Amino acid sequence: MSVVAEPTPRGTVLRSVGTRVVDWIPAIIVFVGAIVIWQLAIEIFNIRRFLLPKPGAIVSAFWDQRSVLWHAGWLTLKEALGGFVLGSAAGILVATVLARFRGLGDALMPIAIAANAIPIIAFAPIFNAWFDPLSLAPRIATAAVLCFFPVMVNTLRGLTSVKPSQVELMRAYAAGEFQIFRRVRVPTALPYLFSALKVATVLAMIGAIVSDYFGTFGSLGILIKNSVSLFDFETAWAAILVASILGVAMYVAVALVERTVLQWDPTRQERGSG
Amino acid sequence: MRNRALLAVGVLAVASLALTAALQAAPGKQHAKKVTLQLKWVTQAQFAGYYAAKEKGYYKKAGLDVNIKVGGPDITPEQVVLAGQADFGLDWLPNLFATREKGGKLVSIAQVFARSGMTEITWKDSGIDSIKKMRGKKVGVWCCGNQPELFAALTKNGINPAKASQVTIVNQPFDMNLFLQKKIDAAAAMTYNELAQVLETKNPDTGKLYQLSDLNVFKMDSAAVGTGMLEDNVFVTENWLNKPGNKTTAVQFLKASFQGWIYCRQHFQECVNIVLKNGPTLGTGHQTWQMNEINKLVWPNSTGIGVVPKKAIANTANIAKTYGVIKKVPQNATTYQYADKALDQLKNAGVDVYGKDWKPANVKVTEGGK
Repeated sequence: MSVVAEPTPRGTVLRSVGTRVVDWIPAIIVFVGAIVIWQLAIEIFNIRRFLLPKPGAIVSAFWDQRSVLWHAGWLTLKEALGGFVLGSAAGILVATVLARFRGLGDALMPIAIAANAIPIIAFAPIFNAWFDPLSLAPRIATAAVLCFFPVMVNTLRGLTSVKPSQVELMRAYAAGEFQIFRRVRVPTALPYLFSALKVATVLAMIGAIVSDYFGTFGSLGILIKNSVSLFDFETAWAAILVASILGVAMYVAVALVERTVLQWDPTRQERGSG
Repeated sequence: MRNRALLAVGVLAVASLALTAALQAAPGKQHAKKVTLQLKWVTQAQFAGYYAAKEKGYYKKAGLDVNIKVGGPDITPEQVVLAGQADFGLDWLPNLFATREKGGKLVSIAQVFARSGMTEITWKDSGIDSIKKMRGKKVGVWCCGNQPELFAALTKNGINPAKASQVTIVNQPFDMNLFLQKKIDAAAAMTYNELAQVLETKNPDTGKLYQLSDLNVFKMDSAAVGTGMLEDNVFVTENWLNKPGNKTTAVQFLKASFQGWIYCRQHFQECVNIVLKNGPTLGTGHQTWQMNEINKLVWPNSTGIGVVPKKAIANTANIAKTYGVIKKVPQNATTYQYADKALDQLKNAGVDVYGKDWKPANVKVTEGGK
């Protein structure tokens, strides 16, 4: 798990859509190629289908079971979203407080980074005991704790990586702490924050699915476990596909928000088109 | 030069490997044949017959050295056997059907449990006195291959287990706490395990152990529910069976295992002790109850232990198909020719393979199963 996600360089919004499609061509070729090799390898090497089903069989399971799969996907998405919102909000809040009180921040930062390195997913069964196992709470909690540390650490890093000259300039204009915070620190922190949020979407999905394994019938995790134990590997893979689609959707949603928010951000121009 | 040396080393290595393999394969008769049995669960009286066969030397006499591998929540015996990590496996019959349908070429060679031990229980004071009344309730069941009998019972009563608006299916842990704390309205309970766990618990209101009269017990096998499926069966892969000598091994293994089960019918208490010796985790009281309940699933058997009428297999297949465990009734998923041979050998030796006169013991539960 990465401790600190660097802000990724972003392309300009105005960049033509055509160029973007061209950019994607190699990736699409690799993707299609991998699927073809997968399908062929199974036929050529006669791989038993419980070890690895053919992509075609997975797609047809995906279609046949779409109602069950999307119900399960929706339940798990609720857990992941709940965890993402709670964990990220708490992360941002704590980072804001720590950025304001630097002494406290300096004291807690090493601990936060250490906590970030803990495989928090190991807590999933414990949360099941702490919260009502019949509700979504233990699974939301797992996802939330997974999201909390990367968001907190990155936001704090963003809030405190302001150039001293900028702060001095603001002070020269007689700006108060709050104004410095609003006009300098927050805009500086936003790219860091969004990078962390994108990491958090992935973590939230991981947290939700892994804790599903201990969880309720009708969730993606149990669907995967159940299908595997009844040798229905096509359905298990189809459920993994649903999980991937939902994970990517959450990631893209955050990326779109980032694009919109940072477009209005006046400092974006200075940072250039990256 | 260097290449030639490498080649020489390579040739030598291959030759020595071949020699070792030949030496290992050679001995045969005077050495017992090593085979592995994968259990469905941890060591408990559910598997007493196999432990007895080992302890009493039946496997040894049959020329076998049997390694009994314990199972657990995340072990699927079908997968272990298909992966070649065990020769024989034990699991419920519908799971074998499902595996076979998905291309795992397993074949059941003996149906040791002739009836189902699965029940769903509710508290008598809850008023849920039929499966029908489980509509809208929180109904517990274990996931991952242990739910078909209950799902079939619910479906039969017009309740769709996949619809949260009709019933809340709760993934039941392997203890009865959710039920005891009344967080769920109904719980899955094997007659030989979880049912005893409830009866081994003190009722906080009366200070005495819970009684059977406090519970509604819906046996899947009963005429009222009617969705009992065949459970513990012995299976192997078709590949394994077709290897030279393995058909004889199958007969020998079944014969010795049946002897173990017959021993447990006749020497109930000794078998409990054998199980406790091999797996002391669960208490004596609990294992004693379990041994008695397991004997009820095995005995009597009018067709001889390990064999059930074709009708019973067809019945399980039909229930499994009707309620979506499998899409088609599987072909050639069971073959009892090896079990029949084993039974013939035992009958010729004057052994009672039917247990018609067997009567269950009257086991009193103990607090905490101690």
